[in-house]
Amino acid sequence: MGKVIVITSGKGGVGKTTSTANLGSALAMIGKTVVIIDADVGLRNLDVVMGLESRVVFTSMDVIEKRCELDKALVKDRRVEDLMLLAASQRNRKDDIKPEQMYDICERLKEAYDFVLVDSPAGIEQGFHNAAAGAEEAIIITTPDVSAIRDADRIIGLLQNQNIDPISLILNRLSPTLVRKGNMISKNDVLDILNIDLLGIVPEDDGVIASTNRGVPLVHTEGSPGADAYMRIARRMTGQRVPIPEMREDNFFSNILNWFSRN
Amino acid sequence: MDFKSLFGRRSKSSNIATQRLKLILTQDRFDVTEDSMKKLQFELTEVLAKYFEFTMNSVSMSLKREGNSYVLVADFPYQESSKLQ
Repeated sequence: MGKVIVITSGKGGVGKTTSTANLGSALAMIGKTVVIIDADVGLRNLDVVMGLESRVVFTSMDVIEKRCELDKALVKDRRVEDLMLLAASQRNRKDDIKPEQMYDICERLKEAYDFVLVDSPAGIEQGFHNAAAGAEEAIIITTPDVSAIRDADRIIGLLQNQNIDPISLILNRLSPTLVRKGNMISKNDVLDILNIDLLGIVPEDDGVIASTNRGVPLVHTEGSPGADAYMRIARRMTGQRVPIPEMREDNFFSNILNWFSRN
Repeated sequence: MDFKSLFGRRSKSSNIATQRLKLILTQDRFDVTEDSMKKLQFELTEVLAKYFEFTMNSVSMSLKREGNSYVLVADFPYQESSKLQ
């Protein structure tokens, strides 16, 4: 029996879909069976980020309206074994799906897969409630800025009211250089404000843009800082103890500056 | 020692962001206006001032998440010398 985890943020554009694609891929790469569900009905994107857009034939809407069986609607990933995508309908609206229907899909999928990751749409309306309906756990994605953290706080409150537990945090797009210069909210301040468990930190990584251009999740790019971060997070999700490393600046000049400010 | 603080630069933007966020979230979580927060703070201060000495403008209040609920945290930094009457 697997786990259903909703990946959500409140605010848009903070990396929910990128994180879902990468964590799904990473979990499958370490041998887990995974389904990633796009819950953003009407504005689907997970298929594009995964590079699977040309393979989508059926969507969750087709399953709900009984036009096809659930396992026939799952699109197999091109790169990793045991990774499936359930796409959202692009022609429907978010309130065309009911929470009970989403719950039912999640319940059936977790019978057969280790992880079911649900990529939530932005916002706190019906689409978010549908995404969270079948989930027992949640991962909040936030970036270190005032608006994203404010929205994350709101979402955490809503999830706690639905008894979703544990709720953990991924701090995305952290720039150690900006934190050092005092121009970015630090990890400790984010944790102090939101007061939830930190699942991992993903550093700002230009590679994300190229990986989205290609439709190949970043975790397939060996040695990229973002890929390493997602791989570590995936291992933590499977219960392994993987410490969260302190983020380091990687250019020579800033290392010298660091050395000076330490002394 | 940070070079920037040597030259007396203005406060770091990350500190400003953190302070703003704390205030915003206290209002969001409380679901009250800034005015009623100030009123509450003022009245609490009035009551406590009967027993303790502290400077009014150093008082701060926030709502902190503790598991599934919130805790009102009020800081009334009182002066060492003052005694409970």
